[in-house]
Amino acid sequence: MTTFKTIGKSEPRRDLPEKLTGEAKYTADVQLPGMLFGKILRSPHPHARILSINVDAARNLPGVRAVVTPFDAPKGQVAPDMPILDTEARYVGDEVAAVAADDEDLAEAALSLIEVKYEQLPFVTDAVEAIKPDAPQTRPGGNLVGGKPLTLIRGSVEEGFAQADRIFEETYSTPAQAGAALEPRAAVASWDGDNLTVWKSTRGVHADQLALSLALDVPRGNIRVMGQNMGAGYGTKDETRLGAITAVLAQRAGRPVKIELTRQEEFVAGRHRHGTTTTVRMGVKNDGTVTAVHATTIMDTGAYLSSGPGVIRRAGQGALYLYRCANVQYDGYLTYTNTPSGGSYRALGAPQGHFALESLADTISEALGIDPLEFRLKNHVGLEGQPGERVTPANEVLDTQPVEGGVPFSSNGLRECLQRGSEAIDWGQPSERPESGNLRRGKGMGMFIYRGGAGGRSIARMRLESDGSLRLLTGLMDVGEGSLTVMPQIAAEELGVGYGQVLVTFGDSETTPEAPLTAGSTATFSTGTATKEAARQLKARIIEVVAPLLDTEPSNLQITDDGVEHIQYPERSVSFAQIAESVGEIEVEAAISPGSRDHVINSFGAHFAEVEVDTDTGQVRVLRYIAAHDSGRILNPKLAINQVEGGVSQMLGFTLSEQMLTDPRNGVTLNASFLEHKSPTVQDFPEMQVLFADVVDPVGPFGAKALGEPPSIGVAPAVANAIYNAIGVRIRDLPLTPDRVLNEIEAQRGDSQ
Amino acid sequence: MAQLPISYSASITLNVNGTDHQIEVDHRWTLLRVLRDVLGLTGAKRGCDRGECGACTVLVDGDPVCSCSMLALQVGGRQVRTVEGLGDANSLNVLQEAFLAEDGGQCGFCTPGFIMSATALLESNTDPTEDEIKAALVGNICRCNAYGRIIESVKAAAKSEAS
Ligand code: FES
Ligand code: FES
Repeated sequence: MTTFKTIGKSEPRRDLPEKLTGEAKYTADVQLPGMLFGKILRSPHPHARILSINVDAARNLPGVRAVVTPFDAPKGQVAPDMPILDTEARYVGDEVAAVAADDEDLAEAALSLIEVKYEQLPFVTDAVEAIKPDAPQTRPGGNLVGGKPLTLIRGSVEEGFAQADRIFEETYSTPAQAGAALEPRAAVASWDGDNLTVWKSTRGVHADQLALSLALDVPRGNIRVMGQNMGAGYGTKDETRLGAITAVLAQRAGRPVKIELTRQEEFVAGRHRHGTTTTVRMGVKNDGTVTAVHATTIMDTGAYLSSGPGVIRRAGQGALYLYRCANVQYDGYLTYTNTPSGGSYRALGAPQGHFALESLADTISEALGIDPLEFRLKNHVGLEGQPGERVTPANEVLDTQPVEGGVPFSSNGLRECLQRGSEAIDWGQPSERPESGNLRRGKGMGMFIYRGGAGGRSIARMRLESDGSLRLLTGLMDVGEGSLTVMPQIAAEELGVGYGQVLVTFGDSETTPEAPLTAGSTATFSTGTATKEAARQLKARIIEVVAPLLDTEPSNLQITDDGVEHIQYPERSVSFAQIAESVGEIEVEAAISPGSRDHVINSFGAHFAEVEVDTDTGQVRVLRYIAAHDSGRILNPKLAINQVEGGVSQMLGFTLSEQMLTDPRNGVTLNASFLEHKSPTVQDFPEMQVLFADVVDPVGPFGAKALGEPPSIGVAPAVANAIYNAIGVRIRDLPLTPDRVLNEIEAQRGDSQ
Repeated sequence: MAQLPISYSASITLNVNGTDHQIEVDHRWTLLRVLRDVLGLTGAKRGCDRGECGACTVLVDGDPVCSCSMLALQVGGRQVRTVEGLGDANSLNVLQEAFLAEDGGQCGFCTPGFIMSATALLESNTDPTEDEIKAALVGNICRCNAYGRIIESVKAAAKSEAS
């Protein structure tokens, strides 16, 4: 058993002390001398051509310093389907123009003085309607992104269904769910000659730097993006329009500008989890063996593409890979509508896809008379991976969301999650019968698979600084997941020093090397691997330069908390400060593209819920929740537990209460507030137990795999299945609000009579 | 033609964390805006600006309030306490230490609000039950949903204050 100095220990979160005292600065807290406030004018129409904009009155208002409209904005794109400002508005809330003024009230007043002439265009607010042939067109190329579905196939579902004794098919829907990070998006831009500095609530400073450079046509080297602290985003804060508009206003005004979105704007113009409609068809033998899985998802990307192509793909991962099966197919239809844009949101499409798949699994289990846990134990994908042939050429890195078979996982703790989770909730034991006549209790479960952490190319730099301190530099952003804590743990462990001795610099495009987005649960795995390698190199370099100083061979030396010492004669030692003094600063940099040529790296888990349903009110209460995860070795248990608990609670919102509502008559978002898009509060937090499978991944840094997103995948099916177990009513549309539960009880009672 | 807003201003004495500030305030300004934009106390956050999230929580005469939903004019002559009054990162108080030890936050944007609500709770009730803790914090939203760790943090603080 390896013993570690800091890996596996609950080191305190590095950035928490200053967050507890209010000292931590978020983007909206940045104050610059002479700074102006910007405000954005938004479209009142779901689809319209902007014919003209008269800004004279606004411009003449004393204190208004800059205005930008689509007719005079720089022509660059902030995304392939989105210029900085456009003469076509695509949803109610789309950016139309912006102003900067001496204070917020003036900026707001100036907006009301802008006159826009719109030509209204036909619009569509529903994805299923949007792919019908005669639907109003949101774009010249049609509503269906790419003109055809994304189709992924292993084997042949026709053959698989031919082998089945029985075939089951059901359709499920999930709503748009706002990310609604507590920190509304904000940006501050300031020019110094040709150089632009942007502070921004972002999850990737280098990605923003590149996007701003392209949009504004300013060389990348002239742009510095600073991440500040980030009031979370769960993936949703990855667009650049706000930063670009702020930069244009600042340039025109010749003064720094800050734009902070209001809560309502954050709901509407932020990004949300894509609404979906998914049909799953599954073929099984009478003994429960799965012979075919075919899933079809229609997904609403809203007005813009954002990360839709990644999300539609991820929605199919469960259907293609969770059950051992040679014949599977997934068809994903990503569709534009005239509604707010979807985006990346914790586990992308996986929660939506798994809700349908894992609900249907329970329907099948019941029909075949097999316990739902047994059905999963019998069919879940094992360490050996899926049946079939490897298609990826032998020397190439395997996709972490593969379709092909014939490739083993690097590790797979799914079975352990199923076993330990079911024990923790006393699976075989029916729920107690509550005393009151209208309360019913039941248990439910869902299992899941998710890509395991290998992301884009990552660079980590490590330095022995001139004063003898050790510093890790990466461009990563800590968006609340804790990488600012876990990265120095990895570096310290590899170096052989205490956690507290490694200082960190994060999230500044000028002073830190390139890092990918903090996205797709890849930070620990990818930047962690680069960090480990940089620490290894620094250690080797330090020992190499110290050897002559101590008049010995490098192999006789080791690193301690204080510096370097001789293994046999510890009194022969030098401190880090002395080393730096005699040889100067030492800096190393490691660049890695993480991944494996031999194994698929995936994370797994199984969730179990016990609920109580009030059949008079439709209220669902989660009594107990067990979340069992295989994310490889857990590098910091307390942070990991927080991550899992938070993900589950967040998705109890998705499952039970949250839904963005668009008025189909006019495209208006009806509930852009925390009161009406109901967020879980501390009182909704159930009794929860988090379990981690005893897995050490052979590829991940210190055996770790992805953890950030997986907690959000199992929640909806576990709760929906528990509700079915409690009241015998299968609800196929989220969220499971009291009115929906009551209506379904009513309707399904009617059916059975 | 849109009507421009009319503003009046008045001079008030605002006592924040024990210090009096003589401030000229616009009648429309909220306490949150004055704290953040005039006094530069940015610990209280603007999560919604309309009383839904608790990120702006401060204490006025000992009671937790949403500073976004109170006009600065209403607070003249009263005692305001903000998170900045509790200590700095090198000298955390008992409650803050407990949040650090129990990992009572993720992105931290909600954290100052929770700290102030919990401060008010523990000053009036040194040994709260779990239900009392939840009732005291129900006006604070944490979108990271770090609620489990937040509850443990407040429990731990009550325990170490008792000992
Ligand atoms: S900002 Fe005051 S309650 Fe949200
Ligand atoms: S820690 Fe992010 S909102 Fe609470």
